[in-house]
Amino acid sequence: MVMDQTTLTDLIGIEHTKLGFFQELQKTIEELKASHEESESQRREIAAILDGITDIMMVLSEDLRIISVNHEFEKLFGKEDQFKGEYCYKVFRQSNKACAECPAFNSLSTNTVCKDIATFRVNNQNRQFEMIASPLKSPNLSENRVLIFKRDVTLEKEYQAKYYQAEKMATVGTLATGVAHEVNNPLMAISGFAEGIQRRLAKYGDKLPQELAEDFECSTQIILKECNRCQDIVKSLLSFGHPCSSVFHIVFLNSLIEETIALVGFHLRRSANIKLTLDLTNNLHIKADEPQMKQVILNLLTNASDAIGEAPGELIVRTYPKDQDWVVLEVEDTGKGIDPAIRHKLFDPFFTTKPVGKGIGIGLSTCYNIVKDHHGEIEVISELGKGSKFIVSLPSHP
Amino acid sequence: MLSTKFAIPDIIFGHGSITHLPQCARRLGAKRVLFVSDSGLEEAGWVELVKGILKANNMDCVYFSDVNSNPRDCQVHEGAELYEKENCDVIVALGGGSPMDAAKGIGVIVGNGGKISDYEGANKIKRPLPPMILVPSTAGSSSDISQYCIITDMEREVKMSIISRTLVPNISIIDPQILVTQSRSLILAAAADALAHAIESYVSKLASPFTEIQALKAIELIINNIGPAADTKSIQAMEQLSIASTAAGMSFSNAGLGSLHAIAHSLGGICDVLHGWVHPVLLTSVMRYNMPSCMGKMAQVGQIIAGSRICPDTRSAELGINHLEDLFKSFDLNTELRHLVPDKTMLESICKTATNDACNLTNPRLAEWQDLMTICEEAW
Repeated sequence: MVMDQTTLTDLIGIEHTKLGFFQELQKTIEELKASHEESESQRREIAAILDGITDIMMVLSEDLRIISVNHEFEKLFGKEDQFKGEYCYKVFRQSNKACAECPAFNSLSTNTVCKDIATFRVNNQNRQFEMIASPLKSPNLSENRVLIFKRDVTLEKEYQAKYYQAEKMATVGTLATGVAHEVNNPLMAISGFAEGIQRRLAKYGDKLPQELAEDFECSTQIILKECNRCQDIVKSLLSFGHPCSSVFHIVFLNSLIEETIALVGFHLRRSANIKLTLDLTNNLHIKADEPQMKQVILNLLTNASDAIGEAPGELIVRTYPKDQDWVVLEVEDTGKGIDPAIRHKLFDPFFTTKPVGKGIGIGLSTCYNIVKDHHGEIEVISELGKGSKFIVSLPSHP
Repeated sequence: MLSTKFAIPDIIFGHGSITHLPQCARRLGAKRVLFVSDSGLEEAGWVELVKGILKANNMDCVYFSDVNSNPRDCQVHEGAELYEKENCDVIVALGGGSPMDAAKGIGVIVGNGGKISDYEGANKIKRPLPPMILVPSTAGSSSDISQYCIITDMEREVKMSIISRTLVPNISIIDPQILVTQSRSLILAAAADALAHAIESYVSKLASPFTEIQALKAIELIINNIGPAADTKSIQAMEQLSIASTAAGMSFSNAGLGSLHAIAHSLGGICDVLHGWVHPVLLTSVMRYNMPSCMGKMAQVGQIIAGSRICPDTRSAELGINHLEDLFKSFDLNTELRHLVPDKTMLESICKTATNDACNLTNPRLAEWQDLMTICEEAW
């Protein structure tokens, strides 16, 4: 080891003194300031990154209280301060207990990243969110936390649903058009011959015994009436065949309902156990695409009658105006109701409670989309075992 | 003429002053003390006493005693690790030069990191040390007063002199009562060291009026009290010796030492000799070598040692040196170098190493390694 030559001046050490902690403290303060600034700028950078994320982001405690949220959350719900310490399910579901299928819980208990999809009402609108929960387990945290990303996938889901819908409708449409045309020919023949019989009756009726002539008259009348009804049915079937060209007209809501009931009426009337009650307010106009709106009503009616099933029950269809600008259509049943656990999935495409082969779960999501296209809202009130009520609000058109 | 400087720690002196240790430690912010001492003091019961008074004052005490005579670099590093690991705040050392120097070394590493050899030489320490309270148990090394810290580099077999004003402890607590448990030979070795400090610093190139007065007083007290202290351990004599050693400490810390300590350090590094045993062997030879350069001062020293008389300076100095030789012999102290160095061939490397020691700088007469060889030859 080579040492600098020590000199006498070194030994005297005039400028050297017992080093105090004062300079050291100052230096430490300087260093701390520098490192604080560094970590502060890092923090800001991270905050900027987090705020740049367009998903809603929350950090939750183990008991699902909100610890921190990002910019996007604040944009949607309001300032962070009013949500700190609030339960997540209270904010998103206005509920007093955690959701059964909570991905945050799953994520914590399995220590894996969990995904789920759910519909929340945000600012009085149903929005679908894809949720990703990842556990934040860190040795220097006193308790575990969960990081939740909620991504608004409403639009994507809508497009998806619309795509399937379009495909389905195309198929149904082709089928319906084909059948309609095929049925139309024999119908034309039947009505033609019935009219022929009537003409002949008019000519030669007096040749027949009175009673027989009246019987024929009556029968042919019925045949013609039923033929007309068949033609109406065929017409409504044909109107299903052109879903893509949504043309909005001002229509009477009640007439839509009546025409739709005429379609499913057969099925409803056949099930003797269902009492159909109509409680309609007249003169309610809406601006709607007729076939699409009919489809909504058809869907709701079908679901309602399915919910009632074989047991005796009642199906009530109501229309009434709400406030100045809204018209409401309610379809209520006294069926088995909807389990709260699945209520948030109701409007998800392909979600169905029906047995395989009975439904593919596109009905309500289609309804949801159609109603949205009409700038309306659809919501559901249900009590397990008591029944459900679907409420469709549409902008009224005076 | 260089400007001089005189710096000493807070000195608390008196019988039973050890009882002020807790309040001193508290004033320095102590909650958890690293207490450095050695086995000799454990046997004498002083370690338990200090632990007891610290505990009674609600201070934790982490005890470190892996220190031997001529403390080693590895021991210092070990102590520093313990300090860090146990989150200590203040260092308290009780002992002779070895535990006190070890404590200083630990402080250096704790405050500055690295290896202790990084700080060899003067003013290499750039950052403050933890607060230190040193309690001497010998009237000799005066490490509790000085800016010196001597640690053995085991690899190079060198006793490194680490010199820095920041090595002056915050507080020195000198309690003469602690001296009474020393053995006779330890009392003598320590007194010889203190005497060497006084004489070397008195004639040092950096001596100033403020150090000279301390040095002369120290020489006088040692000459008058070394006998009674060694023979009867009289508490009065002990007290005078501890005053002497403290005064000598004030002197050499500020004025530096000379070739004797340079040789003693290199000898300690190479042969692991107890520091105090080197002085009876070499002190007189070094004084003779230095005489031409500081005849007046040497004569004054001679007057104090041999009693004042009217005669030329040369005579006074000679008389003093001779008297000192007789004094050492009268205590049955070894005065021959051959008993310390196993092999005469080692002398060359001992002397060459000594010329690198900072103590050699302040020797009143320039001493190359060949000159040091002559001194050693004389004492062989």
